[in-house]
Amino acid sequence: MSGGILELKDVHAGYGQRAVLHGVSLSVPEGGIVSLLGANGAGKTTTLRAITAGVRWSGDILFAGRSLRRMGTEEVVRSGIAHVPEGRGICTELTVDENLRLGSHLRRDSAEVKKDYDRVFDYFPVLKARRRLSASTLSGGEQQMLAIARAVLMRPKLMLLDEPSLGLAPLVVRAIFEIIRTINETSRVAVLLVEQNARIALDISSTAYVLEVGRVAVSGESAQLRGDESVRRSYLGY
Amino acid sequence: MQEFAQQVVGGIAIGGIFASLALALVLIYNAMGLVNFAQGEMAMLATFVALALINRGMSYWIAFPATLVLAFAGGIAIQRLVIRPVERAPVLTLVIITLGLATLINGLAGFIFGYVPRSFPSPFSSDSIDVFGVFISWRDLGVIAVSGLVLLAVYLLLQRTTVGLTMRAAAHHPEASRLLGVQVSWMLALGWGLASAVGAVSGIMVAPILLLEPNMMQSIIIYAFAAAVLGGIESPLGAVVGGILVGLTINLAGAYLPGVGGDLQLAVGLAIIVVVLLVRPTGLFGRAATRRV
Repeated sequence: MSGGILELKDVHAGYGQRAVLHGVSLSVPEGGIVSLLGANGAGKTTTLRAITAGVRWSGDILFAGRSLRRMGTEEVVRSGIAHVPEGRGICTELTVDENLRLGSHLRRDSAEVKKDYDRVFDYFPVLKARRRLSASTLSGGEQQMLAIARAVLMRPKLMLLDEPSLGLAPLVVRAIFEIIRTINETSRVAVLLVEQNARIALDISSTAYVLEVGRVAVSGESAQLRGDESVRRSYLGY
Repeated sequence: MQEFAQQVVGGIAIGGIFASLALALVLIYNAMGLVNFAQGEMAMLATFVALALINRGMSYWIAFPATLVLAFAGGIAIQRLVIRPVERAPVLTLVIITLGLATLINGLAGFIFGYVPRSFPSPFSSDSIDVFGVFISWRDLGVIAVSGLVLLAVYLLLQRTTVGLTMRAAAHHPEASRLLGVQVSWMLALGWGLASAVGAVSGIMVAPILLLEPNMMQSIIIYAFAAAVLGGIESPLGAVVGGILVGLTINLAGAYLPGVGGDLQLAVGLAIIVVVLLVRPTGLFGRAATRRV
């Protein structure tokens, strides 16, 4: 279980007095897709927030072999982690284009940046058509596309996606997951995917962890979990 | 007609001064939802610095940008040393801190420079030029030009540069910005520096008219509040339009409404604040605050 791009080792975290994670360990292999499943309140979002220093934590988190302990959010992000948060984190005061530029604003390789813009507009043509509009005019699905496109423009080694399917129509969800897979395959970016929609998450990921009240209850290969009737019934609810 | 036109140009000139200070208020309000009551005093202190530089033999057009750089650094220093330690405190705490800061800077300026009003040089000739039969003073035109250039520079910085983009993002969406690698705390500091520099312009522009002393900005800050509120406290463009409208209003009211001239002009400024807050609290360019519950 070692040698992944991201390693969580016995991570405890919480908000003030309220502990949410009681020792979570997981591993994301380089270039892999891992899903993190579980019911509401199980600690999925808190796990992602711990990785990008949005919540206090103890234990250890290693990214590319380096501990993220005592690093602030900006520093973690700059080291190569793109976090698309719960609610997507779109800057609705800004235009679509400005949101995208925020994704690439730290990069100096302008030729490569330009290629990445072409790529994301290829994935999400609707964003190109709406470049000059305020991001607040986008639909929920389009905002999710914008958030993912912006994350791609950061050229991360790891993407943390917090419920990309939330509130979207099934067709849109399928399209977005198709593109997450494409992004993972073409740029070898690892993905840690938090989902309520276990079925689609297990389809796309190679490994899965199921959280229950702040602990990993079950983990294994996604294909195996998908086939395991009792796991599906007791933890995944489908 | 002749006099009216002169009053209009004069109103735009003084309005440009209000606009600069109002813009400074808006920049900080946008960055942290805080009205900086010390903004006027910071501008006054910067103006004393400018005068000190000029009195040491520096030419006006070198002392002016040099003062802006110093004011910028001073604004950053204030944010880092005074505001940042209490960043997460309730807004009321912050407001009281800015009030304290205002008193502190005022006293400090009085202690160092004294309370005797000093004349401050204007780089513009006191002559007038004839524009289609209307005599317009070079000073008014100069003030309009300087304010206009400064406001344009701020606009270009915020709208056309990456730093400006990250400043706006950090101001409106601090959490999301952090996740994009924006150093939010430094962006707030930059906002304070920028506000301080823009505010300093208003002090330097108004000093030749009012004479420089520690209380010089206390009426100007009221007009700047009026301008910012009129424009919608969140809108930089609104601050500029509001500033010019307030300048025109008080100049024309002073000239044509019996009894308003002189001291009562300040009451007009306060009246604008009250009327805007009653009739249209979001101002001309503001958006109604909507909150999801």
